[in-house]
Amino acid sequence: MDFFGTIMAPFKWLVSIIMIGFHDGLTAIGMPTANGWTWTLSIIGLVLVIRAALIPVFVKQIKAQRGMQLLQPDLKKLQDKYKGKTDQLSRQAMAQEQMAMYKKHGTNPFSACLPMLIQMPFFFALFQVLSGITSAKNEGQGIGAMSHEQVVEFDASSIFGAPLSAALLHGGAGNVAVVVLSIIMILAMTASQFITQKQIMAKNMSEEAMASPFMRQQKMMLYILPIVFGVGGINFPIGVLIYWTTTNLWTMGQQFFVIRRMPTPGSPAAKALAERRAAKGLPALSVLTGKKEEAPEAAAAVEPKGQRVQPQRKNRKKK
Amino acid sequence: MPNATAVVARFHPVVAAVLLFLWNLPRNFLIVLLKAYRKVVSPLYGQVCRFFPSCSAYALEAVTVHGAVKGTWLAVRRLGRCHPWNAGGVDHVPAGHREWPANRTPTIVVLNNPDKYLVARTDEEGRSAA
Repeated sequence: MDFFGTIMAPFKWLVSIIMIGFHDGLTAIGMPTANGWTWTLSIIGLVLVIRAALIPVFVKQIKAQRGMQLLQPDLKKLQDKYKGKTDQLSRQAMAQEQMAMYKKHGTNPFSACLPMLIQMPFFFALFQVLSGITSAKNEGQGIGAMSHEQVVEFDASSIFGAPLSAALLHGGAGNVAVVVLSIIMILAMTASQFITQKQIMAKNMSEEAMASPFMRQQKMMLYILPIVFGVGGINFPIGVLIYWTTTNLWTMGQQFFVIRRMPTPGSPAAKALAERRAAKGLPALSVLTGKKEEAPEAAAAVEPKGQRVQPQRKNRKKK
Repeated sequence: MPNATAVVARFHPVVAAVLLFLWNLPRNFLIVLLKAYRKVVSPLYGQVCRFFPSCSAYALEAVTVHGAVKGTWLAVRRLGRCHPWNAGGVDHVPAGHREWPANRTPTIVVLNNPDKYLVARTDEEGRSAA
């Protein structure tokens, strides 16, 4: 086995055993075993498992963003120090000092590339499992944790007449169902990605983040990703597209939840939440913990025209 | 290797040039790959790295300064450190043996050590003004 294959083997096993687990569970509650929908739900189950496992990372990220509010005074000082110094080396020096500051305060707004990287082997493993189904069937073998019988069954299963292991560019172009389903899912992936990113940029970014040079790159990404999805989509088997679409929808749902319930401090969404809470007569939430503030203002907030406790305002006065 | 240049210098100049080219080939190949990644793929994500220099900048400097083998090893170890449970912060590439003629220090080395080179540059400006 080659080097890449050796690395991927455990991931392929893990991906297939999770799918088989869901498949067996679904057949146990009465779904037909050799049915495309049963396998589709198994793939969706796989997404749920992986994304649920990543929730702690996500929560940590949100907490770190709240912690950033503590750093605002220091950050302001740093920005003043480098005001007007726009050459690359000074920018680098500022970035370095900023990182040192994050470390000193024990909070870092960046999530590291691990959450992204860790999904890649699973994605590749699923890709390999699904695109290897037909050849494994012909050679009389199993794939990962899937037995040969399960491989045969999977190979024969389809939804709307499109086999799960068929890809538009690789033998699926003659099948109308594969073409239509691929295109629909590519559009769904692109739309969900676009909406997620737009929502973040319009509602969940603090003013500082909006003004940063990274915004341009973020905007670029908004228009490049559909191309990536398009090119990837016509090459990938239907099963992989199901995985990709589901994981994008998860991201979108997660983002909606965060924007509504735990917005980034200083963002338009945070203002909206503070206003909603004030309108209901609820006490304002603490910027740092997201918990209710223990304050006598609770009594004042009950009055409809009482002072609204908006944490951002306090910060602005200091500037 | 610190003295690869010294070793090949004993050969005929043409042979020496070919040997040096071959010796540096893996390193330069990795440098091209990393530069392409930083130009094309990195901007898609925006900043996610918890360190200064970022992982890709670290890898580029490590390979430039330490060569393909040790540089790759250093870069892999850094990637292993870069996860949400590490506090991040400033993490420079360890100093290497390679030396560059004045004004020919690779850009990545300068950009990754701004405090060092910013001081050097302001010194120069001061001198030329005086």
